[in-house]
Amino acid sequence: MAQTAGRGDSIKHAFIGPAFLVVLVVTLFPLIYALVISFQAIRLVPPLPPRFVGFGNYAEILSSARFWGSMWTTSVIVFISVAFQYVIGFALALALHHNVAGASLYRVTFLLPMFLAPVCVALIARMVFHPYLGPVNDAMGMLGAGNIPFLTEPNLAIAVLITIEIWQWTPFVALLMLAGLQSLPGEVFEAAKVDNIPAWRRFRDITFPMLLPLSVAVVFIRLIEGFKVIDTVFVLTGGGPGTATETLTLFAYNEGFKKFNLGMTSALSFTFLIVVIVFGTLYLAAAQRVTRRYA
Amino acid sequence: MAHVALKNVTKRFGSVTVIPPLDLEIEEGEFIVLVGPSGCGKTTTLRMLAGLETATSGEISIAGQEVTHARPGERDCAMVFQNYALYPHMTVRDNIGYAMRVHGTDKATIDTRVNDAATLLGLVPLLDRKPKNLSGGQRQRVAIGRALVRQPQVFLFDEPLSNLDAKLRVEMRTEIKLLQRRLGTTTVYVTHDQVEAMTMADRVVVMNAGRIEQAADPITLYEHPANRFVANFIGSPAMNFLTARIENGAARFGDQSLALTEEDARRLGDRGEVIFGIRPEHMREAEQAAALTFMPDAVEPLGPHTLVIGRVGDTKLTAQVDPRFGVTPGTMCTVQVDMTQAHFFDPESEARL
Ligand SMILES: Nc1ncnc2c1ncn2[C@@H]1O[C@H](COP(=O)(O)OP(=O)(O)OP(=O)(O)O)[C@@H](O)[C@H]1O
Ligand SMILES: [Mg+2]
Repeated sequence: MAQTAGRGDSIKHAFIGPAFLVVLVVTLFPLIYALVISFQAIRLVPPLPPRFVGFGNYAEILSSARFWGSMWTTSVIVFISVAFQYVIGFALALALHHNVAGASLYRVTFLLPMFLAPVCVALIARMVFHPYLGPVNDAMGMLGAGNIPFLTEPNLAIAVLITIEIWQWTPFVALLMLAGLQSLPGEVFEAAKVDNIPAWRRFRDITFPMLLPLSVAVVFIRLIEGFKVIDTVFVLTGGGPGTATETLTLFAYNEGFKKFNLGMTSALSFTFLIVVIVFGTLYLAAAQRVTRRYA
Repeated sequence: MAHVALKNVTKRFGSVTVIPPLDLEIEEGEFIVLVGPSGCGKTTTLRMLAGLETATSGEISIAGQEVTHARPGERDCAMVFQNYALYPHMTVRDNIGYAMRVHGTDKATIDTRVNDAATLLGLVPLLDRKPKNLSGGQRQRVAIGRALVRQPQVFLFDEPLSNLDAKLRVEMRTEIKLLQRRLGTTTVYVTHDQVEAMTMADRVVVMNAGRIEQAADPITLYEHPANRFVANFIGSPAMNFLTARIENGAARFGDQSLALTEEDARRLGDRGEVIFGIRPEHMREAEQAAALTFMPDAVEPLGPHTLVIGRVGDTKLTAQVDPRFGVTPGTMCTVQVDMTQAHFFDPESEARL
């Protein structure tokens, strides 16, 4: 008996071995390689021999105003857009779930924004918000407001970026929340109806708490994804004016592909990873406190 | 004036008519059990009472108020669902008190009522638990408690015990019955279990394909079933049915002849075919007994008595006999039939004769 168990054990390792190797090579090696690079000064143009600088790259990042600016920009875009995505997405899901008039029409079209590549969305938005050619400014003009520099005034540009994020990703939230709503036990709500619980109390006291774990997950996904925003910013403003709308990833991209400063780019990527982990952990910890009240 | 009344109520889902016109009047404080085979429309009827389904036509009234098109909440019913439908994220205490809290009942009253209900149902030690940490029977009691504290006009139960094990079901059925007695609240209870129906009801409503076959107290249902369907549905093991001819005051099938009681003979007269019904437990020695011979196929000893399953001609037959009754499968045997307990049904309409 013990013998069979022993032999089974070694076979177990033999089976796991290849997969373990693949994981090691495919995921861990690049990560470790990047980490090593982040402690070096490497330039491709003009080529310089790699030089170990310890935490020098990181220190430079943390003391750079551009980094903190991109950090702020990213956070503003992510937190505001995710908040709107969640609220609007949840509301849409409720409307679809309860078959509000017009829901069937929307049901067909509502996923489309999500299917579009962010670059296309940004190109469309660039036309829509174009200072002279865009329909938004045409409409503004008709209303008597002059041409509004949507893409060149920093705050407006960020507002446009937020709007695009909301437009594109609200369907995703709606889809998941709808799936959540449809998986809730119907009898519970019937029981509440029989007990004469008004609709908004049913939402507040039953639907919302029961969907809280899902909400936490959906918002989490959107936060993490949101932090990676680059394509829309890249196409729409290129991070400008100046670096006013530069996000973390765009900053890293500019370091890597405009200055070819690879050590710095690696360090930025890891800083970015740490930022996301820190935000993610804080968020999950806060969410857990809320969820525990209901679980 | 009936406390709950359904007048000419019908229900269609699309083109499917689930409830053809149905009439039912329920007195105040009455315990009504709707029973019938699966898919006969019991749940649909109950849900129409609760307002969770709208009647296609007809009129429903509760406590003198016409509520046919009223929202569920406006009907002052409390419902207990088959799957309990507890609020999973609330403690037992919150589950029971939630509706009162929403309706602005003051805190002291809520506490008193929740504690009273919990005491009554033995839920006191569980008040701070979540439903997922309760057993099926405990959840069911919470669901009942939640209905109880509302002090509604009508209790509606939809197969509340079907998820419980046999022993618990027997206990709960007594508890619910006693509770209803004590509160005196009009109750409509749906089940497909005829034993539950018989033991709990003041009046049993036997339904079939959306129609009421018979609505009567349990003993009447058992002794004077209105038709073959009810006779077959009520009683376990089910009644035996044999096609017979009535001739000269006797029921004949094949070469056998069973003498009718005088009263039956007078009532039935001479007529062609009838369906002769006799319950397995009425195959016993009695004053007006007649001998019936049949071919036993199997013997099922149950302890207090033994079931003999066999055939008369091609018709299956079950007899309930004394455990020491000597019978060998494959060898003809004769049992006595208590003819005072015989039932006769019209072969066409299946109505009682
Ligand atoms: N929403 C619906 N749409 C279409 N048909 C339905 C719907 N609800 C119920 N039915 C049909 O109505 C009939 C009665 O259903 P109901 O649920 O009332 O049966 P029941 O007597 O409660 O049966 P059970 O003992 O299995 O619970 C069934 O034939 C069912 O298929
Ligand atoms: Mg049912």
